[in-house]
Amino acid sequence: MIEVKHLIKVFEGRGQVVRAVDDISTQVAKGEVVVIIGPSGSGKSTFLRCLNGLEEFNDGQVVIDGIDLAESKTNLNAVRREVGMVFQHFNLFPHKTVLENVTLAQRVVRKRKPAEAAERAMKLLTKVGIAEKANEYPSRLSGGQQQRVAIARALAMDPKVMLFDEPTSALDPEMVGEVLDVMKQLAREGMTMAVVTHEMGFAREVANRVLFMDFGRILEDAPPAQFFTAPREPRAQTFLKQVL
Amino acid sequence: MSLKRHPAQWPWHGLLVVILLGLAIGLWVATKRVNYEWRWERVPQYFAYRAEVPQDTPISGQVSAIAPEGRSHRIVITPEGSGPPVTVTAEQAQVAVGATVAENDTVGVNFEWRVGPLTQGLWVTIWISFVSGFVGLVIGLITGLCRISKNPALRGLAVLYIELIRGTPLLVQIFIFYFFIGTVLNLDRTVAGIGALALFVGAYTAEIIRAGIQSIPKGQSEAARSLGMSAAETMIHIVLPQAFKRVLPPLAGQFISLIKDSSLVSVIAITDLTKSGREIITASFATFEIWFTVAILYLLVTSVLSQLLFWLERRFARSD
Repeated sequence: MIEVKHLIKVFEGRGQVVRAVDDISTQVAKGEVVVIIGPSGSGKSTFLRCLNGLEEFNDGQVVIDGIDLAESKTNLNAVRREVGMVFQHFNLFPHKTVLENVTLAQRVVRKRKPAEAAERAMKLLTKVGIAEKANEYPSRLSGGQQQRVAIARALAMDPKVMLFDEPTSALDPEMVGEVLDVMKQLAREGMTMAVVTHEMGFAREVANRVLFMDFGRILEDAPPAQFFTAPREPRAQTFLKQVL
Repeated sequence: MSLKRHPAQWPWHGLLVVILLGLAIGLWVATKRVNYEWRWERVPQYFAYRAEVPQDTPISGQVSAIAPEGRSHRIVITPEGSGPPVTVTAEQAQVAVGATVAENDTVGVNFEWRVGPLTQGLWVTIWISFVSGFVGLVIGLITGLCRISKNPALRGLAVLYIELIRGTPLLVQIFIFYFFIGTVLNLDRTVAGIGALALFVGAYTAEIIRAGIQSIPKGQSEAARSLGMSAAETMIHIVLPQAFKRVLPPLAGQFISLIKDSSLVSVIAITDLTKSGREIITASFATFEIWFTVAILYLLVTSVLSQLLFWLERRFARSD
């Protein structure tokens, strides 16, 4: 579903050159859940953002469902509607109600009829357990509720892949669980997912593979059982020692 | 725990009243000193007045009878030779029975309410401000978007336009627009005036809108783009509505300024509120009264607008 070959992203600024993503090659199969972990500044968010073209990469190849992002003929908007993304800070549209947040892109991008979009939205809001807040504005919702709406908003486009960029990092501890539950359910339903997170429990329980990143590189790529019990890389060993 | 005692407020309210009274007395003394005679009773007629409409006789002859009928009079004119008598109706007869009248002589007058020059001027000010404000908003929106465009040509043009307008006086711009552009393109003076005002307000609006757009967090457009919306769709559905809400207060200030600045178009002989005022003064010599009235009328229009925008602002605050 996702194929990445020799991906390179370089940030330049104030005389500094940072190789945020440094020659990464990997792939994510259909229905696979890949969790990306690593210390902050290791380039995991940048890597994830390259996967839907939100970040322009300098070199390499990202192929989503057979479509090469870097090719000049590729319509990025058409690719993005197949790739859902959930952000650390939710990024709900504050001037729209919860329902409008979920229906807007359906109507604008998928050209669905308002009634059809609303029906789909309500189904998804029910699924993430927040249907009763459909007519509230996002500012009235707690962080966990907002993030669940954001997941519903991304799902409303019927994406083939979901990207999660630290979806629980900005949440109060007691709200982390409700968001992770929704994600676990998605994983069980066979959604292809790439998740950047610090939730090791989630990685252990749900992931098919764990990618450990540092210095813009994937240092270790292993099933969670193996990664959490016997990591090969010394960097991964010290990292796990600090977070567990 | 200590509660701060609130000092009494009434002495300050008292002081405010004393200061305002002092100002009013000062004004009164000042006008007394220059021996100005206030004639406020002359002002109302410039808002609306009853005009005399002359009623003419279509034939020559003699007035044979004047009969009251309701609030008007029927004036019967019998021709000198043969023929049927003709009746003219007028609210006030200006001839007596037995008078001889020639064809097209005025025999009476009707009264009709007409709007005075102050009302006309006020109307001109309002619609000129409205039209140029609307055009300016469109120009400002386009320029603001060009200003943050990635295209160097669009960005350069936008910066040049904004700097040119903001760096020169409006009065000079109006003259240039009227005497140069207006002559070249053969523009009507009203069009030239509206054009100059619209370009002026457009430049300021552009900067306000640019700031508004840039104040919207990047995550908003990223979220929209990640859903597959195009750049234009993101702008229209996500960024602009939020930006517009934020820039409403400075935008309101800009449009209130525009109403006041529109008084400058009187220099190219557009009869707006200011020019009407000046014309009335040459006829009435009620200089102080008319200028005060003109000022109050401007104040009225600007406060109505500011209330309107305040109401709009509260409506938009629903989602906060």
